[in-house]
Amino acid sequence: MLALAMRSIRQRPGRFTATLLSAFLGATIIMTFNSMHDTAGANGVDATSAETLSTAAGVVGGYGTLLVFFAIASTLTVNVRQRTAEIDLLRSSGATPTQIKRMIVGESVAVALLAALLAIAPAMLGGHALLSLFQDSGQVADSVDYSFGPVALMSGISITLLASAGAAFLAVRRATRRRQPAGKGRKFFTYAALALGGLAACSTFAFSATDPALMAPPAYGAILLAIGFALLSPKLLLAVLDRLPFSGPSGYLAVRNMRQRAAQLSGVLMPLILFTGMATATLYMQAVENDAIDASGVPKSIDAKNLETLNLTVVGIIVVFSCIMLINSLYAATTYRSREFGQQRLAGATPGQVLGMVGVESLVVTATGVFFGTAAGLAGIIPFTVVRTDSLLPDQGLGTWLAIVATATAATFVTSLATARCTLRTPAVGAVTLVA
Amino acid sequence: MLSRTQRPPNTTPTEALRLVKVTKTYGTADSKVTALEDVTLSLPRGTFTAVMGPSGSGKSTLLQCAAGLDAPDTGIVMVDGTEMTGGTEAQLTKFRRTRIGFVFQQYNLLDTLTVAQNTILPLKLARRRVNRKRVEEILTAVGLEGRLGHRPDQLSGGQRQRVAIARALVTEPSVIFADEPTGALDTRSAREVLHLLQEAVRIHDRTVVMVTHDPVAASYADAVLFLADGRLVGEMRRPTADAVAERLAHLGDDVPAGV
Ligand SMILES: Nc1ncnc2c1ncn2[C@@H]1O[C@H](COP(=O)(O)OP(=O)(O)OP(=O)(O)O)[C@@H](O)[C@H]1O
Ligand SMILES: [Mg+2]
Repeated sequence: MLALAMRSIRQRPGRFTATLLSAFLGATIIMTFNSMHDTAGANGVDATSAETLSTAAGVVGGYGTLLVFFAIASTLTVNVRQRTAEIDLLRSSGATPTQIKRMIVGESVAVALLAALLAIAPAMLGGHALLSLFQDSGQVADSVDYSFGPVALMSGISITLLASAGAAFLAVRRATRRRQPAGKGRKFFTYAALALGGLAACSTFAFSATDPALMAPPAYGAILLAIGFALLSPKLLLAVLDRLPFSGPSGYLAVRNMRQRAAQLSGVLMPLILFTGMATATLYMQAVENDAIDASGVPKSIDAKNLETLNLTVVGIIVVFSCIMLINSLYAATTYRSREFGQQRLAGATPGQVLGMVGVESLVVTATGVFFGTAAGLAGIIPFTVVRTDSLLPDQGLGTWLAIVATATAATFVTSLATARCTLRTPAVGAVTLVA
Repeated sequence: MLSRTQRPPNTTPTEALRLVKVTKTYGTADSKVTALEDVTLSLPRGTFTAVMGPSGSGKSTLLQCAAGLDAPDTGIVMVDGTEMTGGTEAQLTKFRRTRIGFVFQQYNLLDTLTVAQNTILPLKLARRRVNRKRVEEILTAVGLEGRLGHRPDQLSGGQRQRVAIARALVTEPSVIFADEPTGALDTRSAREVLHLLQEAVRIHDRTVVMVTHDPVAASYADAVLFLADGRLVGEMRRPTADAVAERLAHLGDDVPAGV
């Protein structure tokens, strides 16, 4: 079965690009941050340097890892779901569910392993750069040498593999047991994510204002709430869908599509909500943190400035990663729809009407994603701000949030529309006969 | 461009479809396939024509060029007396909406829409008024009155094809093209589909062009056109299944069939 899996990867490499990319970027980030643990643990590193490095790896590496885990899992779920036709074909040609499961999980593991191995070199470069940033800001002694060791390697490979294999297993199990409505597991997962997220956000209050790990619980909380919201939102979306004021053929198609595919929408909503939530939470918390450092009366030395730059860089990596994941999954989800677009064109839809439909869908998805993403972000920001500054909300203003919303909107619209436009270049008759 | 040259008001042209010297090749210079070569034909309004020929002889290409789903390299296609060559996809789509219906072997219904929604989709896309009574009549005629709320994946192949036919009829097109509409159906469902196509011609005065590999299906038509290697190589009026089968066997003799 693993041989079959390898062959299917070699024959259709394009189909695995999305998963490979997400696993590769994810593994790079995990290894980059976790190599700080290796660096801190090396011989001859002084206590302060070691502590700074471990905290950075623990806090950002920790929630970064959680984010990466869900990003990989969500891309894989979308990928496996898109292969139901192929899975049906395998079943009807005599493959048992166990064989199919082994093949799909085997493929995912192979892709994840490849991605993790490819990620080692970039992660070493990234870790080097990160260490220099720490050294420039005076947080870490200049004498500390970079080292990439077992912690980075093991965490990178194991998280990537676990996320891939786990998501593939769950998705393929759902795909091979069609008859039974998927419900209980998903419901449990949704509420577990929401409950854990709420708990994590609340546990911020148990920390002291100057704890170096203060940013960790609200960040974990925001991620988990974002996951929970992404699983929950299609249901809520269904409730308002009929009341949306869309008219015309494009709106007609979009509303009916979304009502039927509400469950699949969570695959696109997940990265969108994660991006909005993570970007809002981390950027505002970092701004609050920076202001708090300023306000503490320490004269703003070169080092403090560097520290701010360092913090924003670290947070920026996470934000950029979630934005790439958003684009990646939108691209994969839209390419997959070329057959559906072809059928609409054959039924009399002009290319403009198809694009109009994609536009309406993007609008609804963006609005939903931004709403829930902001909610998840606020759930992290508020406890952090209360503990750190005694006020309820950061006094940074809406500028950053507006920029995040603009980025999310642009990423969603540009990726969906540009990808749809590309697929429309194939003649409609060709598009419906293509095997996905 | 689409031009309305030959259609004076108040006269319905008696010619529903005309192809003049239509040629279509696929591929690049070194691996060129001539799918259609110099095909000229004319079909009067209210006729049922079957197109037959070996696999790869260009039947699907012929239908797609005639229906504006594919563009011929050279030659002219006229539907209802209006030339339909060139133009953007949007222009061609708008033209097809009013005059052409297409039925595919693989149905091509939208999974997210119900039977009723699939049927009225062309009207919705064209922003035309939906005459509910007429739609119900059509769906009753194809035997789907009890299944308006079902989705395609809850229907049998025969039922799906009947939805596709209802969808092709609902815009009241002058020509309906069907590419192996019974190819995936059992004998009984196939017979029902063929009767529906026949009725569209007899009762509603539509023109039907159907590709098929089945001599029995072809015998439902008024005439059969034979295609081999992209050329029209014969015609048979008032076909019977036996005569068609006989002729096809000989077609295989003189022309090497593409596989
Ligand atoms: N999109 C395409 N690209 C390249 N070649 C094509 C394409 N479509 C058709 N052809 C070629 O054109 C020729 C005619 O194809 P066509 O599909 O019209 O045959 P057909 O008569 O419908 O065959 P069948 O009975 O198997 O459906 C074949 O040789 C085919 O390989
Ligand atoms: Mg064909």
